[in-house]
Amino acid sequence: MAEVLNRTAAQRQPTWNTRGLNSATEQVGNWFLNPNWNNSMDQSDPFESALSSMVSSPAAASNVPVSGENVMMRELIGKLGNICNSGDASCYSTPLNSPPRLNLSMVNLPNQSTLAPFSADPGFADRAARLSCFSTGGNFGGLNDPLMDSFKLSGNQSVNVNGTQSNQNSPMAGNSGSDKKNTGVSRSSSPENAESGVSKEESSVSQQIPSRNDAGTRKRKSIPRGKAKETPSPAAADDKVASENDESNSKRSKRDGAPAGNGNAKATNDGDEKRSKENSKPPEPPKDYIHVRARRGQATDSHSLAERVRREKISERMKFLQDLVPGCNKVIGKAVMLDEIINYVQSLQRQVEFLSMKLATVNPRMDVNMEALLSKMFQSRGLLPQGIYSMDSSAQAFPFGYQPQQGLPLNNGIPNITETQFSMKTQGFQLPSINGFTDANPQVGSVWEDDLQSIVQMGFGQNQPQSYQGSITTGQVKIEL
Amino acid sequence: MRSPCSLKQEFLKKWIMGIQRCNFSKKKLSILERKKAIKLSADVAMASLRNGTTCWSRALIAKAVNQGNDEKHDLVQQMVKKAPIRSVSCNKRMMRSKKILKRSCGVRRRKCAAQASTRPSSIAKRLVRKRTRILKSLIPGGEFMNEASLIEETLDYILSLRAQVDVMRSLAIASENQS
Repeated sequence: MAEVLNRTAAQRQPTWNTRGLNSATEQVGNWFLNPNWNNSMDQSDPFESALSSMVSSPAAASNVPVSGENVMMRELIGKLGNICNSGDASCYSTPLNSPPRLNLSMVNLPNQSTLAPFSADPGFADRAARLSCFSTGGNFGGLNDPLMDSFKLSGNQSVNVNGTQSNQNSPMAGNSGSDKKNTGVSRSSSPENAESGVSKEESSVSQQIPSRNDAGTRKRKSIPRGKAKETPSPAAADDKVASENDESNSKRSKRDGAPAGNGNAKATNDGDEKRSKENSKPPEPPKDYIHVRARRGQATDSHSLAERVRREKISERMKFLQDLVPGCNKVIGKAVMLDEIINYVQSLQRQVEFLSMKLATVNPRMDVNMEALLSKMFQSRGLLPQGIYSMDSSAQAFPFGYQPQQGLPLNNGIPNITETQFSMKTQGFQLPSINGFTDANPQVGSVWEDDLQSIVQMGFGQNQPQSYQGSITTGQVKIEL
Repeated sequence: MRSPCSLKQEFLKKWIMGIQRCNFSKKKLSILERKKAIKLSADVAMASLRNGTTCWSRALIAKAVNQGNDEKHDLVQQMVKKAPIRSVSCNKRMMRSKKILKRSCGVRRRKCAAQASTRPSSIAKRLVRKRTRILKSLIPGGEFMNEASLIEETLDYILSLRAQVDVMRSLAIASENQS
């Protein structure tokens, strides 16, 4: 039996693959089921014992999906709904089956009547052949339903059909399947159940099937890869997977929308977004577990949606920071940019510390700040429009020329704008001399405040043409306190 | 966005006011004290310009108020004439409660961080998280922000810091040239 199993497994795999590639949506269910079965098989002990030899290669290659399939198998056999749910869950390696289960269980009842036609499908036969290879363990659990009996019949028929249609493998597969079934509680029914369940689901529950198909197709991809006897064209499988994924995506949104309430509060809103998000995913080569997991379930969708929004927000702001922080333009990447930002902020803070210390040393009495302030103000204000300190030296002569009465030592050159403003201001306010400042600090302080304010308002950042040479009128000075 | 010029102007105004008030209170200050007073008045002036709209400004003022110096408190209050003082006290409470929360959560975070994986994506994530933590420690009040608002605050803080540095530098140069 083990040998038979081995042979059937080995031979069946290529048939599966080819069939999967060739057939249409019917095969999707097969794909969906097969990987699930593998997973479920691994997980269930009887499956493992019976099919260990047969599924050794795929199981070894993809333990997780195989186990998921085993889980799915068990559930499939038990109930159609369970099977469908577990299929999703197994594909994603998560046991969250509740939301899909609801739909599937509902679907089970109406589908019973349609079992017979399904069994006649050639695709069903193919599926049965495939299922028989994997089906072992999962089928044991729930073969007590009346559905399963009908499934069994259909399954038997399909198995036989497979045997005739395909190579010698199919009858062997059928035999092996039957053998497995016999070994288990009711193995025979399991693949048929699964298949019929799948087919039923495909026909009636279009919503759920595509989603399961996604998992199945995705799973399918991993399983053939995992197996030593590889399929002829994984690329074609990928295309199939992609197409099916697309279908499933569109349908998934519907399905997800129904149990959305169960899953997430945001699911309804996220449904459309999920669809768009999921549609963007199928073209990506499914990276087995990670990819599957990301797509599965509404919780992840809404989370990933929120994540995406958050990430876009952050990247948008990082762009602003790039312009702000010097040297960030060439850098791409959050970590390096954050590093640059940290360095910049630290350097700025250190500069503040250093400058405050310098000011403290330079001005033993902080009173002196007033004079220096004015001159510095003009300098800095000159700097502000242009941002270049060197500008000051060029206009050094002007301040002295225009403020003789005040006697303010404007050591640094003042750009045109600030000079005009300052000169106008000084004329208007009759600023005391430097010496005067030191003597009467409080008074000076108040005066300076007014002056400061007015000067600041007038002179800084206000772009006015050079017209101070001859036409300084205090009337033009606006004093804003 | 405010123009940097107007920002500098206003900052200068407020800063000078703060320094003057410091002057009036004490005639003799050590260098360090002077430096602290200068820096404090500069920081508070910078923060008050935001009128409590940004988190970092509120946190900065709260820190200044918390320093416990009555003079400084008065100084800060004078400089920050508007309601921000009230919001600052609220911010203090918020900061305290958030600190407690963060401390309780920090242990869990460290445990999760202990599970190191060698995948490049996880390494990158770890780097980003580490640097985000550093940035949070740099920005005043940054520990209580989420990542998106942290970057916003960083933007604003960098702008203000730049203006502050420019003004202080020009003042220092002017006073150097003068003396």
